[in-house]
Amino acid sequence: MTWWLLSFSRSGSARYLSHLDTSRALQRTFARAGVPLALSLGMRPKPRISLPLPLPVGAAGHEELAVVEVPDETRGGPAALSALRDAAAPGLVPQTIVVAGERHPRPQPCNAEYRCTLDGDAGAIAAAVERYAEEEHTIHERVSPKGTRTLDLKDYVVPTAVEAVAGGAKISFTIHYREDGAARPQEFVDLIARWAGVEPAMRGLERLRVVWEGLPPGLDPGAERSESP
Amino acid sequence: MTEYAPGSPESSHADRPSDEVARLLARVTRPGRYTGGEFNVRVKPGASPRIVLSYPDVYEIGISNPALQILYTYLNDATPAAAERAYCPWPDMAGLMRSGHVPLWTLETMLPVAGCHLWGFTLPHELTYTNVLEMLDLAGVPLRAEDRTDDDPILLGGGPAVANPWPLAPYFDAFFMGEVEHRLDAIVDAMQEPTRARRLTALAAVPGVWLPGVSHAPAARQVFMGFSSTPPVLRPVVPVMEAVHDRAVVEVMRGCTAGCRFCQAGMWYRPVRERPVDLVVEAADRLLTETGCDEVSLISLSSCDYSGIEEALTRVRALRPGLRVSLPSLRIDSAADNLARFAAGQRGSITLAPEAGTQTLRDAINKGIDEAQFEEAVRATFEGGFTGLKLYFMIGLPGETDEDVAGIARMAGTAARLAKEIGRGRARLSVSVSSYVPKPHTAFQLEPFAGEETLHRRQRLVRQAMPRGVRVSFHDVAASLVEATLARGGPGSDALVEAAWLAGARFDGWSEHFDFAAWEKAAAATGMVLGESQVGEEAEAPWEAAVDPGVERTFLDEELLKAGRGALTEDCRSGVCGACGVCGSGVEMEVLA
Repeated sequence: MTWWLLSFSRSGSARYLSHLDTSRALQRTFARAGVPLALSLGMRPKPRISLPLPLPVGAAGHEELAVVEVPDETRGGPAALSALRDAAAPGLVPQTIVVAGERHPRPQPCNAEYRCTLDGDAGAIAAAVERYAEEEHTIHERVSPKGTRTLDLKDYVVPTAVEAVAGGAKISFTIHYREDGAARPQEFVDLIARWAGVEPAMRGLERLRVVWEGLPPGLDPGAERSESP
Repeated sequence: MTEYAPGSPESSHADRPSDEVARLLARVTRPGRYTGGEFNVRVKPGASPRIVLSYPDVYEIGISNPALQILYTYLNDATPAAAERAYCPWPDMAGLMRSGHVPLWTLETMLPVAGCHLWGFTLPHELTYTNVLEMLDLAGVPLRAEDRTDDDPILLGGGPAVANPWPLAPYFDAFFMGEVEHRLDAIVDAMQEPTRARRLTALAAVPGVWLPGVSHAPAARQVFMGFSSTPPVLRPVVPVMEAVHDRAVVEVMRGCTAGCRFCQAGMWYRPVRERPVDLVVEAADRLLTETGCDEVSLISLSSCDYSGIEEALTRVRALRPGLRVSLPSLRIDSAADNLARFAAGQRGSITLAPEAGTQTLRDAINKGIDEAQFEEAVRATFEGGFTGLKLYFMIGLPGETDEDVAGIARMAGTAARLAKEIGRGRARLSVSVSSYVPKPHTAFQLEPFAGEETLHRRQRLVRQAMPRGVRVSFHDVAASLVEATLARGGPGSDALVEAAWLAGARFDGWSEHFDFAAWEKAAAATGMVLGESQVGEEAEAPWEAAVDPGVERTFLDEELLKAGRGALTEDCRSGVCGACGVCGSGVEMEVLA
């Protein structure tokens, strides 16, 4: 069996797919394209595909990554990519295929750049972002069915720009992934919205770029990495 | 027509959804329900007429409905019309739409539904009726047809539930009775008229169309005699999010003449028409490519009765290695043979429907299988490798006694014994017991509904007599009361639907949403009694004023008498015509040679 690294973008209506549905839609794209996926072993074989960094529901992704296993005889290259693009669902567009070989690649995200828009007073939003930059710690409690986890957003999120746009402000920020996990975009945006006194509903969340560790040269579109906070 | 070319700006709905809608999507569960973008979706910007097709339930259910796929495909691919879709928003989204004053939109263009020329609903069953009102309200379309103006769409209802259109009559401008494929061109032409009044006049002239309060005669149920020679839908819309059914579907046959006396579909879709095996296999092959599915379902009301089933199963299985082929239903009287053919390479569970617990009652409902056939079918199930068996029964059938109900547990006991013997402990057995609701255009159409007390008592009897280790589930009696009231509601029964909707009833087919208190309140407000039919035994049934089903009333009355005697009526496939009245004037059975 051979491993491929497939980069793809997710936009438009496809932004509203869950992580599992995105994976399912990619599986279907392979099937429609006639490009076979290897199957797991066991009673209920499943296609070997994984998306190592889930994209939040509602977010667009410009350079997303899927790790897939295909039978050895499956040919990659432009023909396979073209077939996948023709068979793709609207908004879920395969971009590149890199044949990674027989060893299972296990890319780990280092950091990712995000951008979104918050409606409301752009000045207040910019001031909130400035305050965030000046704070030494911003403690956040994440409540889930599994329990409560306390994290310092400053350990993970670095705002990079604020730009006034019609009706609000566009915020750019980088999230750093560490061994103990990461903050979520919504957690950072909620904090900024609270400090700015605006609705926490963000619009047009986009993941512009992800920097990976453990990728073969040629796939990682960035190569250089931003500094960890 | 615009086919989304991957990579193009249009492919990503780059300009959609609007900011207004995007704000709502950020706050609801499963936002993918409202955004479209599926495989094989069609968009025809600027095409006219603009037709919206709806299934009054949540997206995951509606997208799996084969009828809507047929209409969507034909309208978009073979007519100048643009067909778009809208499903019933889940309560979280409905609440946000109301508070944000955002009207219901279509998945294809994100444009308001209310701006279309024609809004067609497939109406599957009575427990979706409040969802129809919910969708009209969310779209900003006046609930009652009489209040609509030239700016409003024409509402056209179709599907099996229009067999009795009265509970929804004031809300629809028109109903289409029967199979619509061969009338779609005429309906599209009617929508090209310049005014609403002229569109309705043109629509009224289409065979099968009935206009409440306007039509003076019942509409003749339409039978699509081109079924056998027409390929099934080859490029269905395939959801990108999880739906209730994830498989390619080939309709192999339409109609069923087994003649079960309780079954409305068996009367409504007569006569039987079969597709040639070549057409079925070619369609399955193309569908696997177009959908990316790894399962094909050969559907019909009774696929084991399809004359080409053996050849079709063999050839479809050979299309792809590891391909799963499923059949939606198996007849017990031929199940042992069918299972032997069907079981190869299959795993999982299977459903058999004896329907009633004793021979007497099975004969009365014209389901003449005997206990030996049942035992043989169960044996074949487990010997065939299936690890799960579900038995489906009804309680509340006309003429039913406690002895019949006890028979359900006895049959379950037989199956449990065989599961243990043959299944060697791995086999799972479950029993589903639903409450029988008499339906229009059946032999039992004027028979009384069993009622709440009787059904509860018989549920207890089944539960007490059921052998240990057999899982048994029951349909909610309260929901059956509502269904029974609406199934045979006459003129004026619409008031009950509207009052229930105003009291908060929505998604009545969903146990977690079904609100019986809302229906009780509605019944009190409208003076109706839940579970009681509005027609007496002597009266002409109200639905007979709206639709001529083709099956003659005299045939149904005779079937009722035969039910009382326990006399069977043969399937007309065997060559013995039961004189139901459907065939003639170009309508006839088409069975493979």
